[in-house]
Amino acid sequence: MNKRIIGVAGAGMAAALALSACGSGGGEGGGGEKAADGSVTLKLVAADYGGGPSSPDGGDKFWKGVVDEFQAANPKIKVDVQVINWNDIDKQVATMVQNGQVPDILQTGDYSGFVKDGLLYKTDEVLSPQTQSDLLTKFADYGKVDGTAYGIPFVSSARALFYNKDLFAKAGISDPPKTWDELKADAEKLKKAGVSQPFGLPLGQEEAQAESFLWFMGNGGGYKDASGKWTVNSPQNVEAFTFLKGMVDAGLTTPNPGTKDRKKVWEDFAAGKVGMVNGGPMSIPIFEKGGLTNFGVTPIAGKTGPLDTTLGVMDWIMAFNKNGHKEEIKKFFDFFYSSSAVQKISDTYKLLPVTTSGIEKLSSDEKLKPFLTALPNATFYPFTDPKWSEVNTQMKQTVGNAVTGDPAQVLGAIQKVADAG
Amino acid sequence: MQQQTSILKRVIRALGPLPWIGPAVVLIGVVVVWPVVTMIQSSFMKISRFGVSQGSNGLDNYTKLFDEPDFGGVMFRSLVWVVAVVTLTVLISLALAQLFNQRFPGRRIARWAMIAPWAASVLMTAIIFKWMLDPEVGLINMILHDLGLLDALGGADADPLGRASTAMPWLVAVAVFVSLPFTTYALLAGLATIPADVYEAARMDGASRLRTYWSITLPLLRPALTVATLINVMNVFNSFPIIWAMTHGQPGYSTATSTIFMYILKGTDIGESAAMSVVNFGMVIVLVAIFLRVSKWKTEVS
Repeated sequence: MNKRIIGVAGAGMAAALALSACGSGGGEGGGGEKAADGSVTLKLVAADYGGGPSSPDGGDKFWKGVVDEFQAANPKIKVDVQVINWNDIDKQVATMVQNGQVPDILQTGDYSGFVKDGLLYKTDEVLSPQTQSDLLTKFADYGKVDGTAYGIPFVSSARALFYNKDLFAKAGISDPPKTWDELKADAEKLKKAGVSQPFGLPLGQEEAQAESFLWFMGNGGGYKDASGKWTVNSPQNVEAFTFLKGMVDAGLTTPNPGTKDRKKVWEDFAAGKVGMVNGGPMSIPIFEKGGLTNFGVTPIAGKTGPLDTTLGVMDWIMAFNKNGHKEEIKKFFDFFYSSSAVQKISDTYKLLPVTTSGIEKLSSDEKLKPFLTALPNATFYPFTDPKWSEVNTQMKQTVGNAVTGDPAQVLGAIQKVADAG
Repeated sequence: MQQQTSILKRVIRALGPLPWIGPAVVLIGVVVVWPVVTMIQSSFMKISRFGVSQGSNGLDNYTKLFDEPDFGGVMFRSLVWVVAVVTLTVLISLALAQLFNQRFPGRRIARWAMIAPWAASVLMTAIIFKWMLDPEVGLINMILHDLGLLDALGGADADPLGRASTAMPWLVAVAVFVSLPFTTYALLAGLATIPADVYEAARMDGASRLRTYWSITLPLLRPALTVATLINVMNVFNSFPIIWAMTHGQPGYSTATSTIFMYILKGTDIGESAAMSVVNFGMVIVLVAIFLRVSKWKTEVS
């Protein structure tokens, strides 16, 4: 769901600007300023799940619909919405924080960094008990730092294996693979049938940490063990990458996976160049836009059988405490989670709900079914660990080397980053 | 008493130019000096991922930076990158400038065409090259395939940007491509300042064309050459969009220069990233100093 295709010079500019902007803190003071008529203005900053301000699915239009409805019901509260695209939102929010112009409500991909700086309201303070109990427990638990909840799940996403039915028929494969051995055998058949990328493997900068995690899980591995110890270079993980390396060496995957982004591989899948690829609900519109409709969705193959879990990714909404608009924020959140907005997000952007009631509402959608059933048992990144951001960066940049070099060594170097300090 | 007023007068006279140079001084102070000071300060601070300062960090940012396993490789690569791109750019530009200085039909159009890579955004150029090198549908790969130089599309052979050994030459080529217009025009301007009578004298003395170029054109071109090279060195060293758009410094860090490395570090550790910026800044100054010393830019042409 995180459309972070950070490849823009704008980002370079932002880097320079953000660096030179460091230390310019201070700025406008907090305290809830109220207008003369007693009305309060909430500032909401949100990420754009759509295609920008000009597109019909743009975030501006979505939020305008929500806010209009909310303001009609709460005439004393105004909501100013600023929608920012995924590439820039982290940096722009960082700049807002540095300049002391924090929003009241922020909707983005992570909340944990703000907790350490003491910038957020606790969830209890801004969300009613009814709304809290409707959130999926496993999801809401990830909103906690040291036992206290700060992040509120906003939308989620899960992963499954997509396969091109036409190419499978051409290669004479009747059922999608359930185990690694089957997957490799099918890939070989696809290769013989002239498919240039039998298995799409994006281990490039965009989302290498997701693809790797799915392979770790397939062998019972992961980033951390049950006791919370980092296990990036566990024997299971190394074995998973050794298997992948074999696939790459045999020419059964995307070439040079360490430099390929998922967006590019999904586009190749849509163009009929890729036999199978791991994807999520958010890739369905990309496939359909590329003209591919005859594809199947199935649980991801593991070493000995299909995964009973999947990678869940959540985006968050959170409330900043600086301006003191606790009550107004609470009204807005409770309104949002009980309104039709949640379903509208799923319909428009193919993202999944985070509430029990939301899942019920969507259960009739056939294409989303494999994802909805997997959701309550999803596994998440260990992003509440402060080390995660460094591990994540290192994964994105270097894990692709594990399919060209020595998997144990490459994963070992990443483990070192996790263990340091 | 007499003496005091004369000192006052002298001070006032010394301050006389201030209203004229003042705005420029303020501008330099705000746009150049202040960010540099902030950058150096940041490199000694512990800063959260969202930019909130958490106090002094001593030399830890630098220690951590120098301990990065990829640091040495990144710095070495930056140096090779600068030398390769600038050398190639200057050599090709010298030839192009010479060509464009001749009279030939269509020269005006050719000169205009030369501006194109300059007028297009660098990022755009880099993305277009990336597309042209796409393993499945890249134009360059398709042409190679049609010519029989490439067996099949979609495989590792059709993916020059996937390995450092083939990606670096392409990155250098794109960097040279976008640097050519400026350098060529700077040299062309230099050529225009060389008086015709010097050449006439050389011809009278019977100097060969090569000799004329070596002993007259190049020495007289030196001011333009120095400025063009210097600006290129700084530009190329700080160049970001080409590498970022085409490879993200991947696979691993094997195509990353120090600017790319600085940007990647910024995602997790702003303090360490600032330390990298300071090292970068120092590198540029050292490179420029070495270059000026080698080119003896102040000595008169004899």
